[in-house]
Amino acid sequence: MKGRTRRAAAHPAFERLKGDFLPDAPRVAIYCGDGASHSWIWFTDLLERLELFDVAFITHGDILARALDEFDILLVGGGDTYAMAGSLGREGARLIERFVTEGGLYHGSCAGAYLVLSGVDLEPFTPFSLVEGNMLNVMPDPPEPLCLAHKYLAPYGDEWVFHPVYGEVELVRGPAAEGFSAFGEAGALGAPLFGGPVLTIEDEQCILADYAGSTARAAFPWPREDADRLISGEQAVALRRLGDGTVLASGPHLEHPLFPRANELMAEAFAQHWAGRPRGTSQSRTQTPRTPAGSAPRGADGSLLEIKRQVSNARIVGFGLEKMPVTWQIGVKVWEPEKIRMFLDYTWDRLPYLDRAVGSGAPVPGGALEILAVGFSEVTGLAKTLKLKAESGQDSQAEALSLLTRLKELTASFLSLYFRLRLEERLGYDRPTLRD
Amino acid sequence: MDSMYEGDTLIVDLDAGTTDQVSFDEVDEAGPGLAAGLALYEKYKDDDPLVFGSGLLTGTPVPGACLGFVLGKSPLTGEPAVAPLSLFAGAEMKLSGFSMVVVKGSSPKPVYLWLHDGVPDLEDASKLTGMDTWETTDAIRREMGESLIQVICAGPAAEAGSKLASISINYWGSGDTAALGAVMGEKKLKAVALRGLGMLDADEPEEFYAKAVELLAAASMDVGFAPVCSALGSPDLDAWLAPMKHRVRACFACPGACATFVKYNEDPAVMESSDIEEPGMLVASAAPALWLQHGGWEAEPACRAIEAMAREGIDLMRGARELSDKPLSDAGEIKSAVKVLEGTADAGWPEGAEISGGLFGPWVPPVASADAWLEANRVGYVLGICPTFLLISGMDTAGLFALCAPAAGLETGPDEIAGMFG
Repeated sequence: MKGRTRRAAAHPAFERLKGDFLPDAPRVAIYCGDGASHSWIWFTDLLERLELFDVAFITHGDILARALDEFDILLVGGGDTYAMAGSLGREGARLIERFVTEGGLYHGSCAGAYLVLSGVDLEPFTPFSLVEGNMLNVMPDPPEPLCLAHKYLAPYGDEWVFHPVYGEVELVRGPAAEGFSAFGEAGALGAPLFGGPVLTIEDEQCILADYAGSTARAAFPWPREDADRLISGEQAVALRRLGDGTVLASGPHLEHPLFPRANELMAEAFAQHWAGRPRGTSQSRTQTPRTPAGSAPRGADGSLLEIKRQVSNARIVGFGLEKMPVTWQIGVKVWEPEKIRMFLDYTWDRLPYLDRAVGSGAPVPGGALEILAVGFSEVTGLAKTLKLKAESGQDSQAEALSLLTRLKELTASFLSLYFRLRLEERLGYDRPTLRD
Repeated sequence: MDSMYEGDTLIVDLDAGTTDQVSFDEVDEAGPGLAAGLALYEKYKDDDPLVFGSGLLTGTPVPGACLGFVLGKSPLTGEPAVAPLSLFAGAEMKLSGFSMVVVKGSSPKPVYLWLHDGVPDLEDASKLTGMDTWETTDAIRREMGESLIQVICAGPAAEAGSKLASISINYWGSGDTAALGAVMGEKKLKAVALRGLGMLDADEPEEFYAKAVELLAAASMDVGFAPVCSALGSPDLDAWLAPMKHRVRACFACPGACATFVKYNEDPAVMESSDIEEPGMLVASAAPALWLQHGGWEAEPACRAIEAMAREGIDLMRGARELSDKPLSDAGEIKSAVKVLEGTADAGWPEGAEISGGLFGPWVPPVASADAWLEANRVGYVLGICPTFLLISGMDTAGLFALCAPAAGLETGPDEIAGMFG
């Protein structure tokens, strides 16, 4: 898996696309608030591949506190759309729309795409309407699934949102993809569909990609030919200009780290938006004063070791949980034990960079490492408690909610620190160059 | 030689309760696997070291690449001796994040060493004191939250200072015939627990994998206990165990699967999980079963005796040899007899019992000539390949050596390996 991720990261398009965001790089917000599942962490791989390091992780509370004024791009991944919309409310919807019309870019994958469809006219979704379109994968009485019953349905008023195919689908170029190279000579690319919408977009000029069918790397709750018949020729990704900004709504997770061509499509849309943004709206940090180099905070080495220790311990327990036939339902979303290690791996894989950065005198905010160390220690404890409960056959829903909530918070905190150090390195504080 | 290894050498100072990661040129120059282990042993020999390590190819898809080792001064001979880390312990040793671990000195209080993903933790083992190997394994796995943790542990025999004390790999005993378990007891080192979720790098991954698959395709060892019994000249041993046989089990990456799980607390025909927590025992080595069979034991009480010795952390080979001439059948009597074993028997096999293999323990005459046996052990412990598998499968050692370059950029062969042992 890591070898495949490394190979994906070496896709040549990223080298070309990096230049599209220079010299003024956008400031990016990743939504990890209520309703966000785990997939928001995939955005971080793409941003690293594009060397976009001015990244923050924001919640519904931050959006309601007008944090979007500080950003150029808002990324919303998968999860529980009800929880997202419910926590953001009408005011959140208004602030997101204002963010876009004033020049921002909104990208929503999966739940982030459902959220902004105008045709989804049901509270609490009604106020969110950034893309003129609807979803096709809704019916009052869907047939029984052939597999993945726990992921097949989500309630939608009196009806059900259903997912006929789960895994890799093929996308083909839409009218809005004029000039995009991601589809290559074949005119198609693969992307993973994990419960995202099959779109119907009213204005064909807003269609960036259509579904062309599934691939063998998918599971089929419906018979494959029926699933292909439903999705083929329908819309997968919408791209709409709204005011001075851009909205991208994607059924598949274009940001998934194992799909570099899908990443390229997303990055080309970002670059196109960034190139066409009204002058004067750039809020680049290139003028930010350099942070003076310093020595690592006292105790930094010990805290880093403690983070490593606890992340390792928690990953090991998480792996143990993966062997158990247990899932947890949080809101309308079903969580499998694998998600625990997915979060932890994002920290684990970036610890060597942090280690070298601290060793090189990177300006780590005082107390940041200690707080993370305490947090991950708590995560290990929660994971062990959860495993004991699950092993004894007791209801472990409450423990899973505590663990996953804490993991989300901590992963966001860790990645914030990580991106901050990458940005500081880019801006060039006075110390040897870090390489990872 | 960074590939095929994770991390540096770890020095654990039990006197001071500290750990330190170091790199030694002379260890790197000595060669991989046991060659490096011997160099470390020599370097720290005044501190009564126990060296835990793995071979160059341990933990890879190369057939038989399960082998790690523990090296220390045998209380029986005063000479250095190795114990094999088979099953999944050798591979987990490699993946724990340390290529070699030297444990020196002795702790003022009981401790266990928890090696995970390159993090070394010395943990309090007071609550494990007095526990047998089965209880110890369960307790550590419960505490750390994962049943795949490999627990190299010492039992009550080690705590009592018995020279019959052997290290145990999880519940199942081990091939330690040098009383290295007693050394763990002296050090108050109750266990070394291992787990790593990392991956190994090869210099040339595609070439390495292709060659490993070629070797696997050419490996000719049949599955099960029977091929080992035949090679030992005791084909009836397999039949003796057959009524209790439940399944065979392989060590990491081994196509042979010669360990045999026998059930005597449950019908061996039962394949699904039942409520019986301890239905039987894994017979991972032929020697103790062979001694008891030769002594006239019935198979079921013999297996109960093997279980009782494994729980106590007693050398299964020497214990079985001492028990062999007094066959028992009552479970309670068997446990009592195991508890009063005195260590009067030497390590050895029923045939050629007096022939010692020095560093590698007793030679197994029917399997191979003395020279072939010694070479298989040297190659095996340097490269991390089970010597028994090497001998019985007849695996092409030239093919094994050809893997060293794509694995780690290392050119080696029989002469180089012989040179590593002086």
